[in-house]
Amino acid sequence: MIKQDLRTLEEKSIYIIREAKLKFNNVAALWSMGKDSTTMLALARKAFLGKVPFPVIHIDNSIDFPETYKFRQDLAKKWKLDLIVADSEIKPDLVGAACCGKNKPDTLKKVMNQYGFDALIVSIRRDEHGIRAKERYMSPRDKDFKWDYKNQPIELWDDYSSKLDAKGHVRIHPLLDWNEIDIWNYVKQERIPVNPLYFSRNGYRYRSLGCTHCTTPLKSDAKDVSQIIKELETTTDEERSGRDMDKEREYVMQKLRALGYL
Amino acid sequence: MLVRTIALLGHKDHGKSTLIGNMLIQTGSATQVRINEAKVYSEKMHKPFEPAFILDSFAEEREQEMTYDTTRAEIKHKDLAFAFIDVPGHEELIKNMISGASYGEIAILLVSAKGDEGVRDQTRRHLFISRMLGIERLIVAVNKMDTIQYDEGRFEEIKSSLGGFIGKIGFNPKNVCFVPISAYNGENLVKRSKKMGWYGGDALIDAIYKNAKRAGGRKRGPLRIIVQGVLDQASNMIGGRIVSGRLAAGNRIVIMPCMDNAVAREIIVKGKRVRNANAGENVAIRLDRKVKHALRGAVISGLSDRPLLTDTVNARIFVTKRFGKDVQIKFNGIDIRCSGIKVLNGIDTTTGEKIKATKPEILNAIDAQVRFERRLPVERFEETKELGRFVLYSKKDFAGIGTIK
Repeated sequence: MIKQDLRTLEEKSIYIIREAKLKFNNVAALWSMGKDSTTMLALARKAFLGKVPFPVIHIDNSIDFPETYKFRQDLAKKWKLDLIVADSEIKPDLVGAACCGKNKPDTLKKVMNQYGFDALIVSIRRDEHGIRAKERYMSPRDKDFKWDYKNQPIELWDDYSSKLDAKGHVRIHPLLDWNEIDIWNYVKQERIPVNPLYFSRNGYRYRSLGCTHCTTPLKSDAKDVSQIIKELETTTDEERSGRDMDKEREYVMQKLRALGYL
Repeated sequence: MLVRTIALLGHKDHGKSTLIGNMLIQTGSATQVRINEAKVYSEKMHKPFEPAFILDSFAEEREQEMTYDTTRAEIKHKDLAFAFIDVPGHEELIKNMISGASYGEIAILLVSAKGDEGVRDQTRRHLFISRMLGIERLIVAVNKMDTIQYDEGRFEEIKSSLGGFIGKIGFNPKNVCFVPISAYNGENLVKRSKKMGWYGGDALIDAIYKNAKRAGGRKRGPLRIIVQGVLDQASNMIGGRIVSGRLAAGNRIVIMPCMDNAVAREIIVKGKRVRNANAGENVAIRLDRKVKHALRGAVISGLSDRPLLTDTVNARIFVTKRFGKDVQIKFNGIDIRCSGIKVLNGIDTTTGEKIKATKPEILNAIDAQVRFERRLPVERFEETKELGRFVLYSKKDFAGIGTIK
């Protein structure tokens, strides 16, 4: 896995996060309490003089891990986050990708409408998936959250100029350039708090965090951030190999993203 | 590790995605999962293994065997990493090609040596665009050498047919090299091919490395900060990015276009107070007084060495949509209406020749006098890229890119 220059990545992300806040009227960020969205919040604090200048949304389907809820509570308090918890209902007839593709986006639609957000920061990275690698830094979604991937806007020269359908919103991806190992190196360098589920317990750890229903841990003895970095230096497995939805039918990620998956 | 970005250019089907896919495989940079996925889809299509499918992730891209939109993938070599930027070669997808190529520090142009493929209009047009985008270093990879029995004659023929054009559009011939390859068979990619003993140059990866070592570098130049906006109203902190030069606490600066003077009392970079900040850094600045017009799109410089403040510039514009009077530009994050565009001459982007023109034509360029609705701080693109380039819109549609001469 390629380790990139953290200063370059950091500056670019800070620039994009400032753009998000200064260009749009009402921006919010998704916070899953995972390593990526928490790193994004750490960068937002650097960009905006020590405080996160926008609300953070947790789409809560009430089946996240207990550690995740504890982590949410602690960090929200420590970093004085303006936290919006949006309750999402798990429907027994929807499982796997169908669940990810419907429940969370539906809840998000509700919360976006309720607060009138016109931009949403999402901490996806290119190296997670080939479809995510096709994303722009700023990407418009229509009122139904559809991603018109066949007609993405021009984006060049640090001018991320998404056209906006009056009822839609713009997805903002400040971590697009980062690799998984860069996130961990940055977590280490900046001592960013992370969810304890990432660390090995009884020989297993979570490498990518979803909800309890669809995430499985992998064999690992990595008990701290340095050991995770070491593990990633040699691994040949995919980061999201513990996420059920990535293994389903072909092009499931493309279909999910086109429909508004996060 | 420092990452250098490399834009792939060239006509459709001349092998851009295949080249990146195979470079990823040969350098061990693609995971087995991605390689297997590409294998499965190749088999499904009853085709031999297609490395391009590692990049082309959309269902439509694989089914139609063409790249729709830009993406990137990285490899490492010695002390550097290269991020390859894949772009579509199709004419109608030029908007996506420009989006991708604009992030390139170096370019690799793919030219197929096969049969009648050779140097095409789109081959030259991509080069023209890349030069306009500011790319200075170019590697021409003459591809599909396997289909012509690795013939030196054909390689030399392609070399000489591009040579004149490359110079004409402003590349320094010293910064251009030619490498014969077979992207699909992996010849001359990461090591010198035995099948082309007549070729005395570097394998592609070494050619990239040499160029990457010389590219980039921090901008010295005079102080230029592009203001992104006010970060915090209460403390009057302005946020911006230093695109060239250095700012020190206590420096007297001028804010354009309002021309107000002020002193930079406090500078914050990444949450920490600093004495100096340099090009490439995002800063927060507290001035010694309230400057009403230190707003988004304003430019901060030193008192003496300032950008030009003008409402009229001469620019070269690559046209992606025909436009008339209703034209807007995006310039450093703000939208500005154009009150007039006077076409001086056209440029045929497939020959590099000036042509007579009175109107902008799609996929060609114009030299024009552009008048903005108000005065803007500008510089020649060659001096400070960020202050010398703009994006054109006509009736909200992307209509072209411009560089100030």
